[in-house]
Amino acid sequence: MSSQKNTAKLELYRSHIEEDPMFFDKSWKILDDGIREIYRNNPGGLSFEELYRTAHNLVVQQHGQKLYGKVTETLKGHLEEICRSVEDAQGWLFLEELQKRWDDHNKALRNVRDILMYMDKAVITTFKKTPVLDLGRELWRDIVVRSSKIHGRLLDTLLELIYRERMGYVINRGLIRRTTKMLMDLGSSVYRYDFEKPFLAVSESFYSVESQQFIECCDCGEYLKKVQRRLAEELDRVSQYMDSKCADKITSIVETEMLSNHMQRLILMENSGLVNMLIDDKREDLTRMYKLFKRIPDGHSTIRSVMTSHVKETGKALVTDPERLKDPVDFVQCLLNEKDKYNEIIRVSFRNDMTFQSALNSSFEYFINLNNRVPEFISLYVDDKLRKGVKGPNEEDVETVLDKVMILFGYLQEKDVFEKYYKQHLAKRLLSGKSTSDEAERSMLVRLKTECGYQFTSKLEGMFTDLKTSQDTMQSFYATFCGYTDGLTISVQILTTGSWPTQPCTPCNLPPEITDISESFRAYYLGTHNGRRLTWQTNMGNADIKATFRYRRHELNVSTYQMCVLMLFNSADGLTYSDIEQATAIPHAELKRCLQSLACVKGKNVLRKEPMSKDISEGDTFYYNDKFTSKLVKVKIGTVVAQKETEPEKMETRQRVEEDRKPHIEAAIVRVMKSRRVLDHNSIITEVTMQLQSRFLPNPLAIKKRIESLIEREFLERDKVDRRIYRYLA
Amino acid sequence: MVITGASEKVALQSLKASDWHLEGAFDVFYSQPQVAVTNCRHLEELYNRYKEQDADMIMVEGISQLCEDLQVDPQDIVMLVISWHMKASTMCEFSHEEFIGGLQSIGVDSIEKLCEKLPSLRAELKDDQKFREIYNFAFTWAKEKGQKSLSLETAIGMWQLLFAERHWPLIDYWCQFLQVRHNKAISRDTWSQLLEFVKTIDPQLTNYDEEGAWPYLIDEFVEYLIENGVVQRSK
Repeated sequence: MSSQKNTAKLELYRSHIEEDPMFFDKSWKILDDGIREIYRNNPGGLSFEELYRTAHNLVVQQHGQKLYGKVTETLKGHLEEICRSVEDAQGWLFLEELQKRWDDHNKALRNVRDILMYMDKAVITTFKKTPVLDLGRELWRDIVVRSSKIHGRLLDTLLELIYRERMGYVINRGLIRRTTKMLMDLGSSVYRYDFEKPFLAVSESFYSVESQQFIECCDCGEYLKKVQRRLAEELDRVSQYMDSKCADKITSIVETEMLSNHMQRLILMENSGLVNMLIDDKREDLTRMYKLFKRIPDGHSTIRSVMTSHVKETGKALVTDPERLKDPVDFVQCLLNEKDKYNEIIRVSFRNDMTFQSALNSSFEYFINLNNRVPEFISLYVDDKLRKGVKGPNEEDVETVLDKVMILFGYLQEKDVFEKYYKQHLAKRLLSGKSTSDEAERSMLVRLKTECGYQFTSKLEGMFTDLKTSQDTMQSFYATFCGYTDGLTISVQILTTGSWPTQPCTPCNLPPEITDISESFRAYYLGTHNGRRLTWQTNMGNADIKATFRYRRHELNVSTYQMCVLMLFNSADGLTYSDIEQATAIPHAELKRCLQSLACVKGKNVLRKEPMSKDISEGDTFYYNDKFTSKLVKVKIGTVVAQKETEPEKMETRQRVEEDRKPHIEAAIVRVMKSRRVLDHNSIITEVTMQLQSRFLPNPLAIKKRIESLIEREFLERDKVDRRIYRYLA
Repeated sequence: MVITGASEKVALQSLKASDWHLEGAFDVFYSQPQVAVTNCRHLEELYNRYKEQDADMIMVEGISQLCEDLQVDPQDIVMLVISWHMKASTMCEFSHEEFIGGLQSIGVDSIEKLCEKLPSLRAELKDDQKFREIYNFAFTWAKEKGQKSLSLETAIGMWQLLFAERHWPLIDYWCQFLQVRHNKAISRDTWSQLLEFVKTIDPQLTNYDEEGAWPYLIDEFVEYLIENGVVQRSK
């Protein structure tokens, strides 16, 4: 009964509504018109409520899907219209028209969505359709943006504008921004495929072309400036009217096209490339290059390797240039200047980059060791500074200069050669009292101790001690000495043989006055020091002699040999070479030098020579030059200054260095073998080289010879089975 | 000992083995595989023939006589082999012990027997192991008493002698090189390493390795050969 009733009710309900077969069409017409008005921008005259209700009813009546279909069609139709009007737009108005229409469309779409909201909700979930808003966008995309007439033109227009901007024109950035925003709103893949990808491709060829042009006409510095500018521009562009994720992509294109592709050419550019920048200290350009090349692969490593070869080359030229090598002090100053220069460049332009610093170090190490006289020269440089005091180009003080010198020292492979020369030069300085600052000397010692160990400096310190002790000895000598001195005083420096690099010398014949007092001293000394032996080193030492000439008295400061010669003239006016030779027993070569300095040097010619030639020959005769004059009362004749060695001296020193190395090598071999017991040949060479590297670089052949010597002396033996292996014999 | 002519050592052994019974000892003795029977008395007589008048050694004169009796040249290498058997400490001298001991170990007790043995002695040089021993022995034997090294002249003489037996094509260059470039005494290590060099490295030096820990003198020799175009530098 009730069901009947229900059914009846339902039927009643349904049939009531389904009465009207034109219901859909009527309703649709209302909506269609409404949508049209909306699209004409004329929503004013419409009743929202009515439209909403109509749509609502349609959906309720199960016409939702059909409605959706109709809506879709209608929208399409409107969009097609829009499309045509956009297509018809001329020139630049095209974009504007597109934008305007897009805005309108969005507004309209929202209105439409509002009206159809019920449908939206109902149909979407049930029939899995795209929501109206999205639908509107998709249709826009497919019909308008991707229409055959619009698609290409849109892209071209955008790219054209960007091109113009790149070429320096001002463009309507706002318009482009809205356009790209539109594309982004349509979907990121739309933006990406319809705009970004082609944009990047076009940019690539743009920059490829531009970089080619620039590089033909610009020098390196200018080119890099342009690159920097372009990079900044592109970043700005992206921030103004593109998706920010594009920034990296476009930057990398600029980097590749403008920098990577031309890297070699830029760095190596003649007259303006890296090398020229380094030579001319173009800090700004270098900084820019460093910053820019940091961005590209191998950028820095290329810069580093070009810098390294340049430094090595200029360094090599410097150390092999005979002109430069004539003045050792100047030469070393050049080296220091070079180092300073590059230190500055690395600090200022390369941000103190450690990799560059170590590349610089290895370049220096390479070329400094190309010339085996450099250790000697460095010692001469220090000698010069310690004698004259330091007046560095920048008013640097001693400590700073010595620090810098020690850095050069650190690059030396043959530190033992330096040591030998340093000892010689130090000895000369100390004995002639020529060092300006005791403090500076000690400071240098401390540095050497740090580098070379206590053994080296212990001998040097011995030298200082000797001098101090000598002073004390002299004081007590004079306190006790009461002999007749005839106004003559001596000052003795007693040198311990082991510490000083003195050459053995047979004493010459001293004038009798000197002999007296010196023998008194000897007696005094040996009286207080048992078991020692004293030998006068007449090849060193100096004397102050009061000499009376016709016009004036002078005080002459001369070497010991010179003194012996001059004193002879107290009892004779003229003497031949052989007279002098016999009387003084000074060796030939020294005597010649001595006489030359006394007779042949202008302003110092206290002796007169016949004949008046420049050179000393054995037949010459010498006379006391009564007519000698000098502006100064005290005249210094021929001091002993450390000179660059002559060839034979150099050979001798080198030989001694080689000899000294032998015990070091042997000691190293024994140390190694003692701990390893059994070791093969090549490993010994490696280990020994490592042990000695702070002093010098041993020659593998020298090591081999020492090994054989040790085998001979039964410290080592060869293994019976494998002859390449050695054993330690305890 | 008198009867069998055996050495004291062998006699003692035989007696021990037979529990100190004399007859048994003879059995033991004669049943032993005899390597050689040497007669002590004969050896002493031989020794006395050659020894110096007023010293208990055989010296240059005695050795000359010995060589004459053997009909060999004193420079003949077989004398070296004999000296080796004798473990002679220095050339041109044999002590009493060395002489007797040496002949016993060779297994002879008369000049005739020794003569017969000469070919087999010479043959010992063909044996690799023995050659090496003899070669290394030669160094100590040929050098002056109290010296550590062998004088160059003597060394060259010895080398020429030794490498006549064991052919080495570079021997002449080696001697030349030493005279021209080295001119100093030869160390023991160099001496013994040279044999290794001869044995392992081929005359064209194709398998010579610079890193091979050869004595530097040998390295210099190789340089010498290359400089003079005798061999090509490898690599």
